[in-house]
Amino acid sequence: MRRVTTDSEVASEEVVATKRPWHVVVWDDPVTPMSVVVVIFKKIFGYSNNKCTQLMLTVHHEGRAIVWSGQRERAESYCVKLQVAGLQATIEQDQ
Amino acid sequence: MVSNRLFVRRRDGRIEVRLSDAGRDIAREAFGHVVAAERDPDHEWHAGLNAPINPSSDDDDPLSMLTRQNEISTNAELAFMTLHEEFLNDAEAWAWLSTFQIALRSTAVANGLLSEEKLNECEPAMLEYIHTLQQFLFSLAECL
Repeated sequence: MRRVTTDSEVASEEVVATKRPWHVVVWDDPVTPMSVVVVIFKKIFGYSNNKCTQLMLTVHHEGRAIVWSGQRERAESYCVKLQVAGLQATIEQDQ
Repeated sequence: MVSNRLFVRRRDGRIEVRLSDAGRDIAREAFGHVVAAERDPDHEWHAGLNAPINPSSDDDDPLSMLTRQNEISTNAELAFMTLHEEFLNDAEAWAWLSTFQIALRSTAVANGLLSEEKLNECEPAMLEYIHTLQQFLFSLAECL
């Protein structure tokens, strides 16, 4: 039986979709020195040295790491800052 | 004891540049390429400087793209203008680091050196150039 979708259900799905966080992802490459990645994370996010090192190691071992999550506009802004600093970065919405 | 560091943080907070003339020539070439690549759509590094921000979307936000273009250009131009300086402040050193890093990644992307295997197979001159940029970055990162 075909079910009719109500306006309120559509609106509810849109709210869920917009509430899903956006992730900033940094990707591994074979040339960027590890210490440079740590310095860039510290400068852009202000994270502790330990957290920056952990994130850098995740990028190195797993090929990518989510370095920040939240609103789309801020994710895009952080992504641009990482790209300006020479890292390969993208944004993606949480699945 | 003689230090072989290429950049040294001084007690007054400034960063001393200890590059030789040959080192500054390499820096000039790297910074110059980044400045040119941002302006010239046909430059081999141009596409790499305009990588997608959100790959799931057909187009990125024009404002974000403009911001990226402006900031890359500003850093590269500042780095280029301070090429002959003996000392850098933090903003200048950050511009140098960002621009060296962009030059390093752009070189790798333009030459298809995107895996350890490809990197190990590349020509000795290219590998030496990459190692030189990495040395600059290692030393500069220690100061920041």
